[in-house]
Amino acid sequence: MESQRCKGARDLLPDDMERFRQVEDAFRNSCLNWGYREIRTPTLEYIHLFTAAGTLTPSMLGRVYSFLDWDGWGGERVVLRPDGTIPAARLYSENLANQKIARLYYITNVFAFEETGRENREKWQCGVELLGDCDRASDAEVIALALEIAGAMGLTQPELKLSHAGILKALIGELRLDGDSKAALLDDILEGNWQAFAGVKSKNKEVVQAITTLIKLKGKSSGFLANLKAMPAVSKSVKKEIDSFASVTALLDTMQIRYSIDFTSIRGFEYYTGLCFKITSDGERICSGGRYDNLIGLVGGRDIPACGFAFYLDTVTARVKPWSQQKAEKTVSIKAAGGSAAAVKTAFEAAAAMRKVGLIAELDFCGSQLQARWSVSISPRPAAITVVDNYKKTRRKVSTVGDVINVIGGFNKVAR
Amino acid sequence: MPGKTKTDTRLALPKGKMLARTSLFLSSIGLGFDNYNSGTRIYRMRSHAMPGLTAKMLNERDIPVQVAVGNYDFGICSSDWLQELLTRYPASRVMKIADLGYDISEIYMACAPSSNIPSRIDRDSAPAWRIVTEYPALAETAAYNMRLKRYRIFPCWGSTEAYPPENADFSVLRVKNEDALRGFNLKPVKRICSSNACIIANSNSLQSNDFSSLLERFASAASQKNKPWLAEEKPTFTVNNNPAVSSRAGNIWLALADGHQQIHTEAFLKKTKLGIKGYSKNDLRRRPSCDIDWLSIKVIRPQDMPQQVANGNFDLAITGRDWLLDHLYQFPSSPVAEMVNLGFGWVRIVAVVSENVPADSIGSLRNLVASGKMVPLRVATEYINIADKYLRDKHIARYRVIPTWGATEVYLPEDADILIENTETGQTLARHKLKIIDTLFESTACLIGNKLSLEDRSKRDKINKLIRVFREAVDKK
Repeated sequence: MESQRCKGARDLLPDDMERFRQVEDAFRNSCLNWGYREIRTPTLEYIHLFTAAGTLTPSMLGRVYSFLDWDGWGGERVVLRPDGTIPAARLYSENLANQKIARLYYITNVFAFEETGRENREKWQCGVELLGDCDRASDAEVIALALEIAGAMGLTQPELKLSHAGILKALIGELRLDGDSKAALLDDILEGNWQAFAGVKSKNKEVVQAITTLIKLKGKSSGFLANLKAMPAVSKSVKKEIDSFASVTALLDTMQIRYSIDFTSIRGFEYYTGLCFKITSDGERICSGGRYDNLIGLVGGRDIPACGFAFYLDTVTARVKPWSQQKAEKTVSIKAAGGSAAAVKTAFEAAAAMRKVGLIAELDFCGSQLQARWSVSISPRPAAITVVDNYKKTRRKVSTVGDVINVIGGFNKVAR
Repeated sequence: MPGKTKTDTRLALPKGKMLARTSLFLSSIGLGFDNYNSGTRIYRMRSHAMPGLTAKMLNERDIPVQVAVGNYDFGICSSDWLQELLTRYPASRVMKIADLGYDISEIYMACAPSSNIPSRIDRDSAPAWRIVTEYPALAETAAYNMRLKRYRIFPCWGSTEAYPPENADFSVLRVKNEDALRGFNLKPVKRICSSNACIIANSNSLQSNDFSSLLERFASAASQKNKPWLAEEKPTFTVNNNPAVSSRAGNIWLALADGHQQIHTEAFLKKTKLGIKGYSKNDLRRRPSCDIDWLSIKVIRPQDMPQQVANGNFDLAITGRDWLLDHLYQFPSSPVAEMVNLGFGWVRIVAVVSENVPADSIGSLRNLVASGKMVPLRVATEYINIADKYLRDKHIARYRVIPTWGATEVYLPEDADILIENTETGQTLARHKLKIIDTLFESTACLIGNKLSLEDRSKRDKINKLIRVFREAVDKK
């Protein structure tokens, strides 16, 4: 059958949704425990929210789903939300700016065109924004929270990699390129094309050398940053950014959070201004975040310091084991033998009673093979209930629903 | 693919200003088509030199799309339209295989000489820059790359040089060179790309068929000593884009049509005694003058008028009801409304199929589509929103709208199954062996206006006065 599904769109089947909810629950529980509160922004936003300098890169803007709304004769288009942080920043500046500190989290879908249609064009993210606090401890807080969530999601070997947008932007500034070349270089870097530095025509050769060194080396501690700071050709403005970076890494050292410093580890950092990080699991990027102190100002609010991160749920859910096995343990399939009205009535009553004690009771009137450990058959004449343990291949006859619960409870404490 | 046999190689050739040189080029490489000239009414051609090579004449802007969707193996068009398509749809199955070196032009983002826009771009974050263009994708990319914080792009059918500075901040437009841009009383802000005639190909076709003999012919052009198709180009006629004069707040802006509606509109306006100067075939200016000092007039494309009235650039305009409805179907709560039916320029908007389609009504066509024939129904039209609404309302499942820029009748039956088209007498349709299966509505020229302008106290009396003048002129017969 020819698929009627849109190219690049994805159906989430029950197994997918179980994994999705499992990951979402782990994320939500951690956020709530750390004092973060949930927000939800609209799917549609005006495009100008994303076109301001320092928000989305031109390459990402070239892939947004945008159109004129039914009242769009004024020419201003709307987009299907291409990013989670920018709408959250808008929500904050419009509604919560009077709060000194806002700890927010969201679970949302984002849309971006992907050429082949083999990748998802609608993706899910769950993210955290800590707004209003510029202390280095808030960078450490979001990193520690992200690592806790990664663990709670059941991801194996999460690795933390750090970079710093402020240092990279300050170094690019030192190259003293003209406006167009600077914008083109920044766009290349944002796309992850670090080779672009090789082609830079700058009179400031020492800076080019410093950048090349920076890209090649990978650091493991604050000492690496002290070495960088001591290198020749590192200007005052770059030193200031290195200090800001080092203050966070020193804190992470104290907190015994393991990390590596890799300047090339970030991409699309257009709105980041300071520390950036990503978390990988088995080499795959599952989370990225950082500090974005200018964004609230760009979307119309006051300049408010902010940092946050987002987990990429499509990548995460593909790496966790589903709960189906646990679920089957608790599932009872109830059959009404002969299908008489009395048997059906008893089946409904039995199911309700089982649900009350925490079992998953699924009615089976068609004789289909359900994924359940327990099967219960209700026969009106002679009045009898048969309980089958499909795992242990045992069978018992009982006369009341209470007996059934006792049997299942007797075999398996899960029900309680 | 309908109408295509294995032996056919299909070529899409441009109508309009590129026709003469393209014809010269094809003749020079021994591929001349008998009927490929500006006077022809025959749009389908077969090559004598290469059996199996057929060609059709299309609007040049439609050619990259038609090649990309696989209706044609090759096409000749101006490379700016290819670039526009690939910017909007990078995965399109179309590629350039050779530049032909004529019809050379440049795409600029430009503004009026009086504007100090370039120096304000970095500084001003507040305004929503208004950009008018026939190249919305190229304009959008330019806006992204310039990091314009807020902008509005108005896709236009043409005449975009006329908009700055009163009705737009920028125009993204094609001109021969920077001098020609200055000839339009505009100055460059950014050069976007250059353009020339080129040969394009469908990349799937190229991968799976042997076109070597045709490609060798194309390649033979390079070695020819004499290249008549590259001879000096005569300047093309352009409407005088006379400089903007200051207009006071509270002035009423009226848009008048260029193109083939100009003569009819001019004849009607003579009856209004508004004393309009600079709106005749021999003296056509973008900004005609008139006897009323509070009336500012501009000449633009009729297709673009409803949106330009809706967004407040103009208070009134003379256009066809067809274009008004197309706009209202896209934007149902738009403040534009018909103010006066002017009565001239009568056409009807019809649904048209090929004579050999076994359907005489839209109902029987729906049954055909429902039975699995002609699925998806390919709908070629200039009226995208009218066609979309019509087919939706008629419960046609499923259909695909192919936007065109004119000469739509040539699409049937090979490249489309149904047209939503305007016709006066039906003769052109009959000549192309087409039949009308439904009439959607009748359209005449009308005065359209912005209802919000009527709520503006500084404008209300003036607009009502003009409406009276137009009504009286209609009554004069």
